[in-house]
Amino acid sequence: MNKVASSVKRLVLLILFLTLSAVLVAGCAETSTDEGEGRGGDSRVKVTATIGMVADAAKEIGGDSVQVTGLMGPGVDPHLYKASQGDIRKLEDADVILYSGLHLEGKLTDILEKLGEEKTVKAVTDNIPADRLRGSSDGAYDPHVWFDVELWMSAAETIRDTLIEYDPAHKADYEERAAGYLEKLEELDLYAAERIGSIPEESRVLVTAHDAFGYFGDAYGIEVIGLQGISTASEYGAKDVADLRNLLVERKIKAVFVESSVPKKSIEAVIEGARREGHEVKIGGELFSDAMGKDGTTEGTYIGMVRHNVDTIVNALK
Amino acid sequence: MSGFWIVLTGALVASCCAILGCFLILRRMALIGDAISHAVLPGIAIAFLMSGTRDSIFMLLGAAAFGFIAVFLIEMFRSGGVQSDASIGVVFTALFAVGVVLISLNARNIDLDLDCVLFGEIAYVQWSTLEIGGADLGPKAVWLLGFTLVVILLVISLFYKQFKLTSFDPALAAALGIPVALFHYALMGLVSMASVSSFESVGAILVVGLLIIPPAAAYLLTDRLGPMLVISVAVGIVSSIAGYAAAVALDASIAGCMVCAAGVLFAAAFLLSPKHGLLALRRARSRAAA
Repeated sequence: MNKVASSVKRLVLLILFLTLSAVLVAGCAETSTDEGEGRGGDSRVKVTATIGMVADAAKEIGGDSVQVTGLMGPGVDPHLYKASQGDIRKLEDADVILYSGLHLEGKLTDILEKLGEEKTVKAVTDNIPADRLRGSSDGAYDPHVWFDVELWMSAAETIRDTLIEYDPAHKADYEERAAGYLEKLEELDLYAAERIGSIPEESRVLVTAHDAFGYFGDAYGIEVIGLQGISTASEYGAKDVADLRNLLVERKIKAVFVESSVPKKSIEAVIEGARREGHEVKIGGELFSDAMGKDGTTEGTYIGMVRHNVDTIVNALK
Repeated sequence: MSGFWIVLTGALVASCCAILGCFLILRRMALIGDAISHAVLPGIAIAFLMSGTRDSIFMLLGAAAFGFIAVFLIEMFRSGGVQSDASIGVVFTALFAVGVVLISLNARNIDLDLDCVLFGEIAYVQWSTLEIGGADLGPKAVWLLGFTLVVILLVISLFYKQFKLTSFDPALAAALGIPVALFHYALMGLVSMASVSSFESVGAILVVGLLIIPPAAAYLLTDRLGPMLVISVAVGIVSSIAGYAAAVALDASIAGCMVCAAGVLFAAAFLLSPKHGLLALRRARSRAAA
């Protein structure tokens, strides 16, 4: 019994010793990095945005008065985002944090709300009226609002108001740039409606594997059919493939759309099946859903991304 | 302050996991952490259906309930004659599948996967603090894991002999009148408690990794349970410190770096262990040949 007690005691002591030394080491490392990085006399408002679409809007509206940092880079699916050490600093240093909301950020939402007690933190979808949101049960809405440009205009207004609230000195600048951006978004909204409207009504069907296009379908009058909507589980059975094939043949749908998340095999099976029934279906192209294109390209901006999606869909279906 | 809390949280997770992991390795049930990380899915789904929200407290309760159900079932099948690896496999795949079905039937348009609603992120522990009566008492994770560690240390030290004997030689333990099944269930209960509370605070990969790798390294370095526990905890804590340092240097995922560090330490033990290491074995073989 004595031996047991002594070995347990040793274990407890070891845990204490190692934890304490770890904490000391970390503490020292911390203070040295803190000293190394000053504010550098930059008077711009530091904005950290979670997803690319929000960062893009913040850049457009904030202009020279803000410095925007994105948390999730181009091509990062918010569902699969993993924080890195540097992300802590991005959130810590920010004056204003903007996030999409509607639980798109998952568990990170709790953290952001907590940070909201200390600094300006805003979900850009906060001011969208609840009756415009797609949802099944209370409190749980489809978060992919950015594909309805009109709803995204509300998000842009929220970003404008948040920036003004934090930095009233530049109120006029923010208002002017926001007005210009909102005008562009209105044009984009009209463009999308007009282009999608030019597709013959019976072929206005968007077949994709992702669940992100619900708002897009509602806003521009195109029916959205997802592989996931047909299947009840995440596996696509033979019957799902057959159902989808029959639907393509019946409605004479010309193209289906892929994303990186689509199991290519099942889509190919659908296309092959339709061909055997004498109906030619092609892959219409790749759509952006949760993340935008690379920085510096046209698709790396919100407007460019929406235009790309609209053009890809129209060119393939018309 | 972020570094302080992250390392402290990492060290607490490492200590809980490293102690329990030793007993799991001896029972050939090391993968039970991974099993629990999947088996809690129906708990999440049911908690969502009953509460209608994705609030973390409901998710944690649902997950905890199914963590216990999973380890109970695994232990029941195992003592009923199913091999332990098969028993773990059967229970966690079946429970995970139940979760998938529940979600697809009831919550198809809602993001309800484990990454989104249950698994925490160690990078952000400092911001999710415990508040009682307006006073900020520091990160919730530190309290939760600290409490778990105290419970583990208490139970293991009180019944050290019984846990040791039931792990090495259940037949002898039974012959000596020790309630073997009771201690199996007690250990499984501790494992479930430690994993679920760690999942909520730091995510899955860190827990699963630290439950297996440090004890496996310690197993290579000693043949006695007492020293194995000590070495295992040391390896776990050193991994969390070194991993954090690597994450700072590389600007990478903290949990990922901590598990990688544990992997490096394991590789070192595998090569250099004085008795079971690769080099020692080779030397012994060449000596035998000569």
